[in-house]
Amino acid sequence: MAIRLIAKGAEAEVYRTRIFDIDAILKDRKPKAYRIRELDENIRAARTKSEAKTTYIADSIGVRVPNVLLVKRYQLYTTYIEGTRMSSLMQQGKSIGNRLMSKVGKYLGMLHNAGIAHGDFTPANILIDAKGEPWVIDFGLSSISDSIEEKAFDLLLMKRSIDCKSYAYFVESYSSKASASKAILARLSEIEKRGRYNERA
Amino acid sequence: MAVIGIESSAHTLGIGIIENGKILANVKRMYPISDKGMIPMRVADFHVKGVKKLLLEAFATAGIGIDNIEAIGYTMGPGIGPCLSVGNITAKTLASKYRLKIYPVNHAVAHIEIAKHLNKFSDPLALYVSGGNSQILGITDEPFKHYRVYGETFDIGVGNMLDNFARAAGLKPAWGSSVAKLAIGGRYVPMPYTVKGMDFAFTGLQTKAIGMLKGNSASDVAFSLQETAFSMLCEATERALALLGKRSLLVCGGVAQSQRLKEMLRSVADSHGAKFGFAPDQYNADNGAMIALVAEKMFRSGKRSCSIEACGVRQDYRADAVEITW
Repeated sequence: MAIRLIAKGAEAEVYRTRIFDIDAILKDRKPKAYRIRELDENIRAARTKSEAKTTYIADSIGVRVPNVLLVKRYQLYTTYIEGTRMSSLMQQGKSIGNRLMSKVGKYLGMLHNAGIAHGDFTPANILIDAKGEPWVIDFGLSSISDSIEEKAFDLLLMKRSIDCKSYAYFVESYSSKASASKAILARLSEIEKRGRYNERA
Repeated sequence: MAVIGIESSAHTLGIGIIENGKILANVKRMYPISDKGMIPMRVADFHVKGVKKLLLEAFATAGIGIDNIEAIGYTMGPGIGPCLSVGNITAKTLASKYRLKIYPVNHAVAHIEIAKHLNKFSDPLALYVSGGNSQILGITDEPFKHYRVYGETFDIGVGNMLDNFARAAGLKPAWGSSVAKLAIGGRYVPMPYTVKGMDFAFTGLQTKAIGMLKGNSASDVAFSLQETAFSMLCEATERALALLGKRSLLVCGGVAQSQRLKEMLRSVADSHGAKFGFAPDQYNADNGAMIALVAEKMFRSGKRSCSIEACGVRQDYRADAVEITW
């Protein structure tokens, strides 16, 4: 089985590989030398398991995500998706279409309706394929939670990363999809007023 | 010609004198902390009573007089209002009496700059950890040259969390080192771990740890709390390091005095081939030298002196609001 390292992040090493004769991505959570062993193993195992579970649920409710192929204690195999990260497109100065932002908003609304907070919902974790369709990737920091706060943070992370116009399309579509959008948006305003995002003169 | 700096943002009154980046004096006087915490007005009174003596001590240590000073810096914020005012008024008095240039300095920027200066780093990623603050910062040029906050605490600073826990556990100040001592020989018990991208939160961990003091050995709780909190900081820092590709990492602020945190961060830096640095403890604790250093940088980069009337304090002065002119 050919295997090639494609990214070494803080969270895991990501490899392109093949499994069951399918083009796949292997996310391998390696031990971190700075952490004590017990804490390290707990975090790596819990995140791998939670990522597999939320990715699977997201898929089952119709959000475009990679398919889960195999789950081990610290390793997760998913289908390989050919595409470019939305953050890379933004860095290249390419405009992100309104239809695409609406779709991303809709997907987040669907995730929240299913009780999933993504945990790192930024343009770096939205993949755009050749047809211009968005895929939500990297559920590594996600959780299944009824916490309004965690969902509000998903909105906050995206809001901080995109321009106002894109956010307007994103949030409009999100609001029409997410059943608890009112409470979540109210919490978002509250978080923004907590002082760390705005200076109180 | 030298530059003098006055720090008075919290319990430490510090005065430093710098000449062309060389630290000639760094003297301080610290309000004695008790388990009752700090009453702002009392701390401010303490600073008022000590400032004259400390100024003379700074000049004696540096071996120069006020005639050799051409500019003065003071901590504008963030910090405790009444305490900040003492440094502010002292600086304004000296500036008007001796016709000195005067510069308001951001406390967080000063902590980073002194560590950067002493390690000779040009463009580091900085983890700034103190009582009230926990932030991950790096310089960016957009939309103006400033320290961008890449990650930070959603609620309280890691230092305050350790203090609150230590008080609940009946430990003596200084709390950070008391917790570290109590942690020796402790075993790991699971605790909440909250990292969101490059941000983190400590109140959940604090509440849980204090609750766990009943029914667990205090040493186990202290050990697990410290390991969990520092691991959270390291994970967020590592993510920022990987994302930004900075070639050096430094840690600064009061909690940077922790040996364990430094050991963990060194491991993070090593695994990314980045250099790791920190300042000696006297510059991690609040100090006047860092304020003098930044005031000198502001002065030498041609930044205009603040007019006496416009020199104020801002309790919530954020590092990312400061334009870096050097």
